Amino acid sequence: MQRLIETRELYTDFFTFEGVVKALNGVSIVVNQGETYGLVGESGCGKSVSVRSMMRIVQAPGKIVGGKILLFLSKEDREKGIDILKRSEAYMESIRGNDISMIFQEASTSLNPVLSIGYQVGESFLLHRLDEMLSETIDTLKGEIESGVNIFSRLWKSFQIGMFRNELESYLKYKRRVEEIDRRLYELEDSEDSESVSERNHLNRVRDRLSKKSGLVEFVEHFPVLRRYRKKLNKTVRKHIIMLLEELGVPNPHNIVDRYPHELSGGMQQRIVIAIALACHPTLLIADEPTSNLDVTIQAQIVDLIKLLKKTTISSVLFITHDLGLVAEICDRVTVMYAGDACETTSVTELFEKPLHPYTKGLLRAVPKIDSEGELETIPGTVPNLINPPTGCRFHPRCPHAMEICSKEKPPTVEYSAGHSVACFLYSEKKDM
Amino acid sequence: MILVLFGVSLLVFSIMMIIPPGRRAAIYVKQEKITPQQMEAMIKKYGLDDPAPVQYLRWMKSMLSGNFGYSVTASAPVLDGFKEYFPVTLELVLYATPLIILFGVWLGTIGAVNKDKPIDHATRVFAIIGYSLPTFWLGLILLMIFYGYLGIFPPGVLSNKGKDILFSPSFKRYTYILTIDSILNWRWDMFWDALYHLMLPTINLVLLSSALILRLMRSSMLESLGQDYIRTALAKGADKKTIHNIHARRNALIPVITISGVLFAGLMGGMVITETIFARTGIGLWMARAALQLDLPAIMFNVLFLGTVFVVVNLIVDIVYAYIDPRIRLT
Ligand SMILES: Nc1ncnc2c1ncn2[C@@H]1O[C@H](COP(=O)(O)OP(=O)(O)OP(=O)(O)O)[C@@H](O)[C@H]1O
Ligand code: SF4
Ligand SMILES: [Mg+2]
Repeated sequence: MQRLIETRELYTDFFTFEGVVKALNGVSIVVNQGETYGLVGESGCGKSVSVRSMMRIVQAPGKIVGGKILLFLSKEDREKGIDILKRSEAYMESIRGNDISMIFQEASTSLNPVLSIGYQVGESFLLHRLDEMLSETIDTLKGEIESGVNIFSRLWKSFQIGMFRNELESYLKYKRRVEEIDRRLYELEDSEDSESVSERNHLNRVRDRLSKKSGLVEFVEHFPVLRRYRKKLNKTVRKHIIMLLEELGVPNPHNIVDRYPHELSGGMQQRIVIAIALACHPTLLIADEPTSNLDVTIQAQIVDLIKLLKKTTISSVLFITHDLGLVAEICDRVTVMYAGDACETTSVTELFEKPLHPYTKGLLRAVPKIDSEGELETIPGTVPNLINPPTGCRFHPRCPHAMEICSKEKPPTVEYSAGHSVACFLYSEKKDM
Repeated sequence: MILVLFGVSLLVFSIMMIIPPGRRAAIYVKQEKITPQQMEAMIKKYGLDDPAPVQYLRWMKSMLSGNFGYSVTASAPVLDGFKEYFPVTLELVLYATPLIILFGVWLGTIGAVNKDKPIDHATRVFAIIGYSLPTFWLGLILLMIFYGYLGIFPPGVLSNKGKDILFSPSFKRYTYILTIDSILNWRWDMFWDALYHLMLPTINLVLLSSALILRLMRSSMLESLGQDYIRTALAKGADKKTIHNIHARRNALIPVITISGVLFAGLMGGMVITETIFARTGIGLWMARAALQLDLPAIMFNVLFLGTVFVVVNLIVDIVYAYIDPRIRLT
């Protein structure tokens, strides 16, 4: 199977007043091309932080302090992958929303209250599909001129075409330059000698400073009257937004475009968030508990929508949830997380039939079953405070099988059987030491 | 709105009623030259010892019919005095407020975006200085440095040359605001002269008042930057500039607008010290003198006027709110 994104020993800390919250404790996960991958675990175990780290959007005071995040996006012979932690912010901006998108736990706060739906969805197009939007606008304008208009609007339209052409040219130039830099950076990917490192740093800085817009456009944008020429571009974008919303089953998209988030229902808001994420047909969609605050019927609709999109548009989905039923329903492979550790990774069938890690077992026992009697079992104890996490295996204070070594060393992740790995001393050779 | 103004008028009037009738009458006559009998007659004649409600109604009636009385300190009817003094204040406020807001919003944004970096600390130091310096002290220092040592930016409203132009028969006063009138009369020399005199008081106000806006903008920008929608914008690949200028700034401006309205109205009424130091004949100066000499018609008119300004500014703030925040537009 072709890997798509992989984290290796990822550490993310939050530098708070109370102390350093060690939210991720060396998380290694792999999402493959074409699969639906699940991330489960109790609240606060670091699921959101993991995926935010994968997109490099951990907000202050959080910081990725160690590890690697490898990306295998293009189909060419990119065996080694791109370590995005070594790349510039501008590179990340070109990936986010374009190749990897994310939808969030709380749709209502994820949308900006003072910007219209149209603006928020359209921004994705303008950020990543500017060239297409511009050429399309130019074509529309040309068509309008040909169909015959009076001299004034002809002049105005020619001016618009000129401006858009100029913008398109500088954008394409920008893209070519970026491609060049990225190719060179890829060649330098693994070299660690000081010369390549300094060249890499230099190229990253150059890429950060490259401007998408030409000086002319930047200049004109400062004048309210001249700026009006962009209306035509916005019209093109609007057409695409409406098409996208229709695709996602938003009723009455013409009307919705001009609305503001607070005017929509929760389910509709989540659809808008999905629309923002899907505008540019990403390869990977990260869904961070997209249904947790919706009522059951809407929940089912959103899940169905994601399933449908997985079939039609997106290659892989990384689905975060603490609903094991949902995991069974949609995921191919799952990782169980506990307090910043990835405990166990396996296929969904194995997870339910043959869980290995004591935490996974506890989690499964805590799920109500149709034929179960009496009270549900729970895992005793609570999730530890991550400022002073337990030493060794972070689960040891709550683990029924805890051994002496468990409080001293972090258990290594071992491949128990093909495609089933687990981080627990019960399954490693160190067990008898 | 009307209710607020009614309350203000009642308050002003009650304060005035504390002063005994004899003292009130004496404002207009030289006390030594009048016998107690004559005084008694005057008090009777103008009804100065009638019951308060009767006097209030009488006052209200003349106010509403546009008769605001005679101001001793302006040596003119109140309205004429107002026409002379008010534009001077308005001019300064009109120049200073936008600068204060722009400057404060700009620095506040810089501080928030570069949180805990040296430049953020620099804005913090600036804010503390702005908060803690007394107006008169900074004003005097500015005067000393610029006018005293460097010989530029004199106090006053116009130079003698400018005044000659102002009082020349061909000069038409359209708005009574000097910089605007001079342009309308196409007298650029006078325009520069007026602007030259506006410099120091404007700098004084900007340095002192933008601290408030700065701190407010910084904290509301920081709050806005920590919101979930910023994360959404990040996740779609928006660059820093877009995130700061479009996604965060608009939300952050909402509280700043309220304070800006209060600031504008506050500057109108709070010019006493600035105008005294820079010898600008505005309503601040007039009010200060009126208060010292118990020029009641002037005081009452100005207080009522400032009350109106507050009410109107609040209305404008509400309108601007609705423009920025769609959540308010519905209600
Ligand atoms: N801004 C922050 N400041 C300090 N600590 C944080 C911050 N954000 C997250 N953390 C810490 O990181 C840990 C993991 O949080 P995360 O949001 O990833 O949990 P989660 O698994 O997504 O939980 P949930 O199911 O509730 O979404 C938490 O224990 C929390 O203490
Ligand atoms: S490593 Fe030890 S404490 Fe951790 S889960 Fe395994 S047995 Fe339990
Ligand atoms: Mg979460």
